[in-house]
Amino acid sequence: MAKCKGRYWLNFTGPTATEPLIYQLSKKFDVVFNIRQATISDTMGLMGVEFEADREVLQAAIAWLETQGVKVKPVELNTIEG
Amino acid sequence: MAMAETFFSNLKCRECGALYPKKATHVCEFDFGPLEADYDYAKIRAAISREKIRSRPLTMWRYRELLPIDGEPTVGLQVGFTPLVKAERLARALGVRELYLKNDAVNYPTLSFKDRVVAVALTRARELGFNIVACASTGNLANSVAANAAAAGLESYVLIPYDLERGKVLNSLVYGTKVIGIEGPYDQVNRLCSEIAGKYGWGFVNVNLRPYYAEGSKTLGFEIIEQLDWRIPAHTVIPMASGSLLTKIAKAYQEAVKVGLVNASPFRIYGAQARGCNPITAAQQAGTDLIRPVPKPDTIAKSLAIGTPADGYYAVNVMRQTGGAAADATDAEIIEAIKLLAETEGIFAETAGGVTLACAKKLIDSGRIPRDERVVICITGNGLKTAEALDGQLTEPARIKPSLREFDALIVKHEPQRRGEKNSLMEYRQRGNGILETPCLRASAVNKSYGNRSKHTDPVAGANQQPGHGQRRGGDGRGAD
Ligand SMILES: Cc1ncc(COP(=O)(O)O)c(C=O)c1O
Ligand SMILES: [Zn+2]
Repeated sequence: MAKCKGRYWLNFTGPTATEPLIYQLSKKFDVVFNIRQATISDTMGLMGVEFEADREVLQAAIAWLETQGVKVKPVELNTIEG
Repeated sequence: MAMAETFFSNLKCRECGALYPKKATHVCEFDFGPLEADYDYAKIRAAISREKIRSRPLTMWRYRELLPIDGEPTVGLQVGFTPLVKAERLARALGVRELYLKNDAVNYPTLSFKDRVVAVALTRARELGFNIVACASTGNLANSVAANAAAAGLESYVLIPYDLERGKVLNSLVYGTKVIGIEGPYDQVNRLCSEIAGKYGWGFVNVNLRPYYAEGSKTLGFEIIEQLDWRIPAHTVIPMASGSLLTKIAKAYQEAVKVGLVNASPFRIYGAQARGCNPITAAQQAGTDLIRPVPKPDTIAKSLAIGTPADGYYAVNVMRQTGGAAADATDAEIIEAIKLLAETEGIFAETAGGVTLACAKKLIDSGRIPRDERVVICITGNGLKTAEALDGQLTEPARIKPSLREFDALIVKHEPQRRGEKNSLMEYRQRGNGILETPCLRASAVNKSYGNRSKHTDPVAGANQQPGHGQRRGGDGRGAD
């Protein structure tokens, strides 16, 4: 199966902000990740990350992150307006 | 202008400083940081001067050396150099000594500051060989892309939230662009556009052409400096959607110093948002540069309704570094400010202008902006495009028969309002309360002191329902007032 790569901004807010979600993600899904940038406060976090996985696995991993309250935004989508 | 020379050297990552070639690309491969135009400032410094700029046509292109294109501009040649209005009546109302309005509500051709960014983006799009251009927009950008693409003979697509103001939609449709309304807030329009940009290879002015587009906003800052006779204003208040305009005005002030056009002097940059979509203001006020997204913006200022502002982080930092601040305004405050601006200065701004003025007022009242220093407020869009925001907010026109008697009756009723005018402007100043004192409130307050005339002062109802009133004072209407 074709591996696919995606670049994302992950926005952690609320109760899950301090959970080790990336660690859990890597246990649950066969996803290679590469953190490019991260900023964290006690209530919020912002991370630029590259994921590599099979397409379905990648989609499932992102869906799971969203159920954990993480806002997932593809990097290319980070446009200005508007 | 014989200026084929370019001073624009590279794209450069704002995070790590990595250099990239001047292509249609906008994020750093290493850290996903935004790319920004980089220039050979030493070369610009040697090439540019006040005299040279003064000798050029009154458009944004007079600062050509500081814009990211290679050849001559080819799109939007007439854009920019909008009036900087010395606003004495509004200054009195707000209780500040020296106030200016940068009036991009009359920018050419589509009546918002977006014509500046689009002129640069489309000139560059042509240089890079794009035939189809597009954008994601909250309205004004769509208008500008549509019009400027039409004039340049480029095909265009504009994607907007489907529920924008009618005027904004119409102002795109008329140019023959393809308008696509997306069922969702702006952030989803944005998301879709990036997927399209990747797939179709179009020139998206605010996706893959973003580093070029964004630089166009600097011209607003250069013009302010030149129009203040080459001085940087101490305080500048700027509306924020993505936050790009705010960061670029600050960049313009810094660059003008760097290339020797103006002496360095301290300046503070202030940002304005609507209460119903205030991610940047909320972060600034909380003392963080981490922007918490607003998932469902809810404000009449639709042009500023971006829940995940791409340049929010940089905007907060500009405000912090310059000693500025941010504020936000409710829908009611936005409308009051639109009216105040219109009544004091004769400028009809769109909702974003209402946001900016309402926030400026708050920043002045709270002491963040001192009353005795030079203040510039940026009015970035035209009120005719967001007319429905004022539905039900203005007094209906008086309606009378074509009769001199009815006309005189009406004038009698207007008179107390006229006398009240001077007093209420003084009140504004004394109470620092300009925005809440609308003319309607004024009229009714004044009516009270006019005792028995108060019954007659509703010009509309009075004119239609009680046409005989004027006679009591003015007889057959030859009264002097
Ligand atoms: C009238 C008006 N003013 C200001 C802005 C803010 O622009 P920025 O996204 O650069 O913050 C916009 C954006 O659409 C606008 O339409
Ligand atoms: Zn970088």
